[in-house]
Amino acid sequence: MSDRHDDDLFGEEDFDDREFDDELLEEELRRAAAVLDAVPAELQQIALDAYALHDLEARVAELTFDSLVDALPVRGVTDVPRMLTFQAGEVTVDVEVTAQGLLGQVLPPRSARIEILGGPRPGSPLTSDDLGRFTADVPLSGPFALRLRTGGDVVVTEWLRA
Amino acid sequence: MTAGAAPSTAYDDLPYTRGGAAVDRTDAGALVQAAADGDAAAWKALVEGLSPLVWSVVRAHRLSDADAHEVYQTAWFRFAQHLGRIREPGKAGAWLASTTRHECLKVIRSAQRLTLTDDPRLLDRASEDGTPEQSLLDSEEAAAQSERVRRLWQEFEELGERCRQLLRVLMATPPPSYHDVSAALGIAVGSIGPLRQRCLRRLRARLEARGAM
Repeated sequence: MSDRHDDDLFGEEDFDDREFDDELLEEELRRAAAVLDAVPAELQQIALDAYALHDLEARVAELTFDSLVDALPVRGVTDVPRMLTFQAGEVTVDVEVTAQGLLGQVLPPRSARIEILGGPRPGSPLTSDDLGRFTADVPLSGPFALRLRTGGDVVVTEWLRA
Repeated sequence: MTAGAAPSTAYDDLPYTRGGAAVDRTDAGALVQAAADGDAAAWKALVEGLSPLVWSVVRAHRLSDADAHEVYQTAWFRFAQHLGRIREPGKAGAWLASTTRHECLKVIRSAQRLTLTDDPRLLDRASEDGTPEQSLLDSEEAAAQSERVRRLWQEFEELGERCRQLLRVLMATPPPSYHDVSAALGIAVGSIGPLRQRCLRRLRARLEARGAM
């Protein structure tokens, strides 16, 4: 630091030069990324189409528990189902994701028509029993959300990756 | 406020632009509001302005291509779902960056639970198959330039994990604000500048050692 003190002006110029060089190198990296690792076009199209998921009618059920984050792993046990809990006001949705599909329950218990969404297309329909329980035998992969219609109420769970 | 706004000293207010066209915070707030009100063009502007940031955050975490695609989609689906409910719409970039980061960490965590070490999903790299851009690069007049870009990329990929991660996010187009970078990587805004400087200089030293600069 003391030598810079002796020659403030040059020190500062040096600093500016180096900062300028940093900018250039970062800019060069930016151009390289735009060529070698750009957002795939089909992926950006999916993001554009995702606007259809903006759903004014539905309430969003927020993820309040995810065993992947909130539970300690059990040593030696690898095939544990993923447990998720979503909440929208008084409605709770518990979901267990397994390799075979999913099972879950709407609480307080009530019958609901449920759609499993995989993107901005219509999903596959399910119905819960009177206790609010539901199952699906289709393995989930990729992003998914559940859209529940019960009485006049529509609730959609936060999008997650299965 | 647009790209030419007077520079501000607060990190927080660094515009999305450090030199390009961009979605700055005021714009982001207005665009999120308009998109929430049904303006599809506003949504398109948000996607075009922030998609490279989301992708950069995914890439910074070294996921497999399949996981990278799914995380990218999840982030945008959730953003669309929360439009109109986001507390600070002006910070849409940070919201997306942070959502993407958390999904990346979940992917990494679930992979670690499946196999404790050497999971190829954590190790495999960006695919290098021939994209149209690649073929363009390969055209004869671009050959020298292409060689330089390739060397730069290779040295960048071989940087230490921390530097590679930071630079991959910083090189998004348009340049992200430090606030967004902080949300993307979970590091303090104040430490980004010094880290960036160190990483860029480390990269330059590697290039010089190869005689590439």
